[in-house]
Amino acid sequence: MPEDPRASLLSRWTRRTSQSPLLVTALALILGLAVGALVIIVTTPAVLDAWRGSFHSWGAPGHAIKVTLDNVGAGYRSMFTGSVVDPPQFWHSLTTGRNWSLSLTPLSETLTYATPLVIASIGVGIAFQTGIFNIGANGQAVAGGIAGATVASMIHLPTFLHLPLTLLAGVVGGMAAGLVPGLLKAYTGAHEVIVTIMFNYVIYAFLIYTLLSTPLQLPGQQNDISRTFDATAQLSPFFGGSSGLRVNWGLFVAIAVVVFAWWFLDRSSLGFDFRVTGANPNAARASGINARVVVVLVFLVSGGLAGLAGIVQASGTTHLITGGFLIGNAGIGFTAITVALLGRNRPMGIVWGSLLFAALGVGGRAMQSATGIPLDLATVIQSVIVLFVATPVLIKEIFRLRGAHTSALQLATKGWGS
Amino acid sequence: MTKRFDSLVANDGIDLVVEPGQIHCLLGENGAGKSTLMNVIFGLLRPDEGEMLIDGEPVWFTNSGEAVRRGIGMVHQHFMLVPVFSVAENVVLGFEPTKSFDRLDYAKARDDIRRVSKEFGLEVDPDAIIEELPVGLQQRVEILKALDHDAQLLILDEPTAVLTPQEIDALMTIMRSLADSGKSILFITHKLKEVKEAADVITVIRQGRVVGTAQPTDSEGTLASLMVGREVILTVEKEVRSPGDDVLEIRDLVVRDDRGLPAVNGVSLDVRAGEIMALAGVQGNGQTELVEALAGMRFVESGTITLRGRDITNKTPREILDHGLGHVPEDRHRNGLVLSMSVADNLVLNTPRRAPFARHGSRNLNAVRDNATQVVRDFDIRATSIFEPVSSLSGGNQQKVIVARELSRPLTFFVASQPTRGLDVGSIEYVHRQIVRQRDEGNGVLIVSSELDEVLSLGDRIAVMHQGKITGVVEPTTSRETIGLLMAGVSEEPARA
Amino acid sequence: MTIAAARTPGPPTVRQHFGRTRVMGLSIGVIGLFIGVVFGLGSRAGSHTSVTWSPVNLSSAVPWHLGTLTVPTRLSCLILGLILVALGAEVVVRRPERGVMARFGVAGIFFLFTLILWTGRTLGPSQVSSINFTAILIGSSGVAMVLVYGSLSGVMCERAGVVNIAIEGQYIGGALVGTVLASTTHSFIIAAIGGAAIGAGLGWILAFLALRYMSDQIIVGVVIVTMMAGLSSYLNLQVLSPYPQYNLGNLAPPLAIPLLSKIPILGPVFFNQSGFFYAMMLLVALVSFGLFKTRWGLRVRAVGEHPKAAASVGINVVRVRYINVVLGGAIAGVGGVAFMAVQGQFQPGYTSGLGYIALAGMIFGRWRPSGAVVASVLFGISVYLAENLQTYQIPVPTEILQMFPFLITIAVVSGLIGRVRPPAADGLPYQRD
Repeated sequence: MPEDPRASLLSRWTRRTSQSPLLVTALALILGLAVGALVIIVTTPAVLDAWRGSFHSWGAPGHAIKVTLDNVGAGYRSMFTGSVVDPPQFWHSLTTGRNWSLSLTPLSETLTYATPLVIASIGVGIAFQTGIFNIGANGQAVAGGIAGATVASMIHLPTFLHLPLTLLAGVVGGMAAGLVPGLLKAYTGAHEVIVTIMFNYVIYAFLIYTLLSTPLQLPGQQNDISRTFDATAQLSPFFGGSSGLRVNWGLFVAIAVVVFAWWFLDRSSLGFDFRVTGANPNAARASGINARVVVVLVFLVSGGLAGLAGIVQASGTTHLITGGFLIGNAGIGFTAITVALLGRNRPMGIVWGSLLFAALGVGGRAMQSATGIPLDLATVIQSVIVLFVATPVLIKEIFRLRGAHTSALQLATKGWGS
Repeated sequence: MTKRFDSLVANDGIDLVVEPGQIHCLLGENGAGKSTLMNVIFGLLRPDEGEMLIDGEPVWFTNSGEAVRRGIGMVHQHFMLVPVFSVAENVVLGFEPTKSFDRLDYAKARDDIRRVSKEFGLEVDPDAIIEELPVGLQQRVEILKALDHDAQLLILDEPTAVLTPQEIDALMTIMRSLADSGKSILFITHKLKEVKEAADVITVIRQGRVVGTAQPTDSEGTLASLMVGREVILTVEKEVRSPGDDVLEIRDLVVRDDRGLPAVNGVSLDVRAGEIMALAGVQGNGQTELVEALAGMRFVESGTITLRGRDITNKTPREILDHGLGHVPEDRHRNGLVLSMSVADNLVLNTPRRAPFARHGSRNLNAVRDNATQVVRDFDIRATSIFEPVSSLSGGNQQKVIVARELSRPLTFFVASQPTRGLDVGSIEYVHRQIVRQRDEGNGVLIVSSELDEVLSLGDRIAVMHQGKITGVVEPTTSRETIGLLMAGVSEEPARA
Repeated sequence: MTIAAARTPGPPTVRQHFGRTRVMGLSIGVIGLFIGVVFGLGSRAGSHTSVTWSPVNLSSAVPWHLGTLTVPTRLSCLILGLILVALGAEVVVRRPERGVMARFGVAGIFFLFTLILWTGRTLGPSQVSSINFTAILIGSSGVAMVLVYGSLSGVMCERAGVVNIAIEGQYIGGALVGTVLASTTHSFIIAAIGGAAIGAGLGWILAFLALRYMSDQIIVGVVIVTMMAGLSSYLNLQVLSPYPQYNLGNLAPPLAIPLLSKIPILGPVFFNQSGFFYAMMLLVALVSFGLFKTRWGLRVRAVGEHPKAAASVGINVVRVRYINVVLGGAIAGVGGVAFMAVQGQFQPGYTSGLGYIALAGMIFGRWRPSGAVVASVLFGISVYLAENLQTYQIPVPTEILQMFPFLITIAVVSGLIGRVRPPAADGLPYQRD
């Protein structure tokens, strides 16, 4: 629709921004926080008591509202100060030049959390762009963790060899886990969503098996825990172990992956093949693209990145893996699906999405220790955000925005029946 | 009646009267607004203005169920049949006879179907599964479904597009007998011959307006000029050229179809440089599979294909493309274009790795853009921008994108399958000119078409295919009757190599 | 999409059909061989397995105490293996058109059965470690029951063309609400109603986003699971831990059906169960009848196969889908309550992927209620055994049994064994045009 030149600058500006995915995400964040606040209100005894009291005495609603705001406010305040910056503390460091590590801890934690998430999400995003729904990223990350942990704890080499080899092992492990669904999809037509869901659980069981059997299990242990990684295979913190800041060299791995993904999707011939295949597999075949090879390659790329994310996570923070490694619905592989969606499968979008979700996750931990509100609230908020981002039209209806006809997200999946 | 989509007026003040017992033809080009009109009548779309009267009573339908209840039945171009259901289940769907506890009364359903089949001479086994029936019978089930719902007005939307000539004949007979029993039929088509054969009354629409009514006795030329608004030249202007050596040699080719049955069964064919070989035949006689084998998209069971002296049998599509084969596929949305991608990207769809578009696996987007700018100008593709998705182009311009893409790189051979299907007359002329230009540049050209007129006007030689075999290779001066016999499998003369 | 929808998927080719059937037969035969060789010949001659049939809690009530049955391990495994080889050979030679999958299910159950026999073998007359077969079946029936609820939920949704991957989330919601209601009202009926309501609510969210806004059904499903996992562990810490009176750990009492419950083996397994079990059996019959015999079922299936065709005869596609997804959600919600009633106290994460096994069961059962039952029995036994290996001292890595349902489903969807064909419009958004 041509723009009316007489329209005021402001109205043109609002129209343009109302089309932007950033606005949708911001509004989704607001809705997510609102739902989170609601959950806090209905589950916090102090708040409920205050409201119950307000039915008995006049003037109490004011008190009840104050209690509510105090509780919700305290929760979200600790979420922010715990994941981004705590202003008084930061001011203290600025003026005195001391305690910098304490001031920077929140950011450091968020970046540490975001590092593997970016890598895994880009893997999922590349698969989405090829028309492949890789719900198996979590299993592939676990496989990468297993393979990486094996190299990291059982081979002993100098750092310049050991670390790259560990990361490579992670990539290969993820690729191996991705190869199975890739081959099945390419050669039998099995739907990758079903296969990868099922394969996740196969890999989880395999993880427990390896952690309970001899080579990888920590000697002398009965529990499902691996040997500790050699120091030469760890992604060490930038500022040294003594700083207390956990942000580590994995960040640069993630940045490299982002640059690679941008080049791959936008500029590489193989990336073009991937996108053509995603948009129209038949035309891809007719124009000389070998669809089967592409499917297998996508799973190798996507699985490899998920595996890399798994080993970066283990090697950068825990330095070992346990039976609980990434397992469950909150594992990075699952969050990666939602982050890819949030970032519209584009590298930079994924970076921002990862930072947002990392801040929520880290902030949730801070909130739990500061106020006792369980950190799982962050998961709920993240889920609500994704539900709204997946449904941009709904957001625009809620906020009565114009231009509600903006393109819906491209559907990720073809039906199981086709 | 008027229907608008945003600013586009799809139907503009259309008046239409259908009498009982009448076959009323609605003739118009693709995009003229025929389907919109039908969907409004059938309750799938809401009109913006106007009124509809059934037996004098004003009605509008909000959904197609209401239309069906008021005696309107529609046979869609893409059948509205559930493939895994039986005939009976499909016919009764939405109007199911039931017993206690909401149970389906299959016995009653079968009886009803048998009764209606007998009444109108539409024999179908009520227990057959739809997906196991041939297309012609599936269409019969669609008609049966409408009749079972007591349709008085039957809308047939491009019913002949998917049928063989025999099936078309059978359909015409059925339509006539239905009309004789008092049903009204609204028959939508863009094929002039069928109109003349079937219609009692003809309404021609163009750009959303009724531009005139005609009689079946009017000449095809009159009808066609009404459709497009100007006199149409149905012949292709081309000079006589002398062909060179053989460039494509096909020897004893055997190719199987999706069901594993031999679709191409021992075909040998040669095409010379500077010659258009037109492959005629009723659709489904192996032409599709032959072309797919040629393009490397279908496995060759036995036999050889040689292109400019090189064996390309069972090579990959990419190897064959790199050897200079240009291919315009039959189904352009399915195989020819990536609709969500830009015009520019679609123009390099099968050469993305070739210099200058890419080097060492990295794409050169400037080269892609320059190429698109050039090609869009050269081939007169109407697009607002080379970066807009190809889905926003009209059908004719989409086909031009494919033709331009294939012809804008060095070729040794050009294959086009149904190159003008579904296009308006202007685009048809354009595509035909491009095909002739390829020939004049000395390339071999193979055209597959089920339109006999196209075959006769384009081909320098005509090969006729029947049940996976070439039944004859003839000159374009051959009479239609002779070619018709060859298409029916009657070999008059041995095939000349 | 229109193009894809217009192209009706052709019937399976003759070659494919025979090829796959043959592979099925061969697989059955291989399982038989494996049983014969590994379990049969692998156990020393003269080893015996003792099996008891009396459930501990009923032994006094059962009039016909069967005592302990001691069978020669090698011979029994050989015989059962040979039966499967014969069954496989029959499939290969006769290539029956129906029931191949069921035969494969039987082979799976044989496999688990002989695995138990092999595990419990002892040399000589010692009967110290006799295996209580009925107890295994009763334990497995609890898991199978929960799986059936989930698979039925999947069948309801997917037959109407909506992929419900959120079964796990509906389980969690049902279990959570169930434990609170059962603890406060002491009524499992109220708990079941509450569970149905939460499941229906989650189904409605899926339907609302998928049908009205065309959101991707799989993404919405995955996110619902994540959300419920987060919410349940949040509520567990915030509410259930400080107020244990809301999470008492209620086990639904068995309701013995007079006479029938006294039948050996079958009685305790089928007729001495909680109300959830009987409701499940009723529901299977009801959904099966409804889908394949009634007008409602015909319309649901039409909507799942070819929504445009259904719409063209006046069926309201969106409404049918809404109803089915909400009903399906309610069924899965009741499944969550049933799970709680088997497990007792609610713990976050204790459904541990059961919803996905239910999804697998629906696929393995070919989108049919009866198939879902066969799959649930098979998967139920393997899940139960995996969780209780210590009890039965089975020397197989737990993890292999855990993988079993997933591996078998992968094999089925890949067509490595059998052939499944989902409803044609399953997972595709429907837009009125």
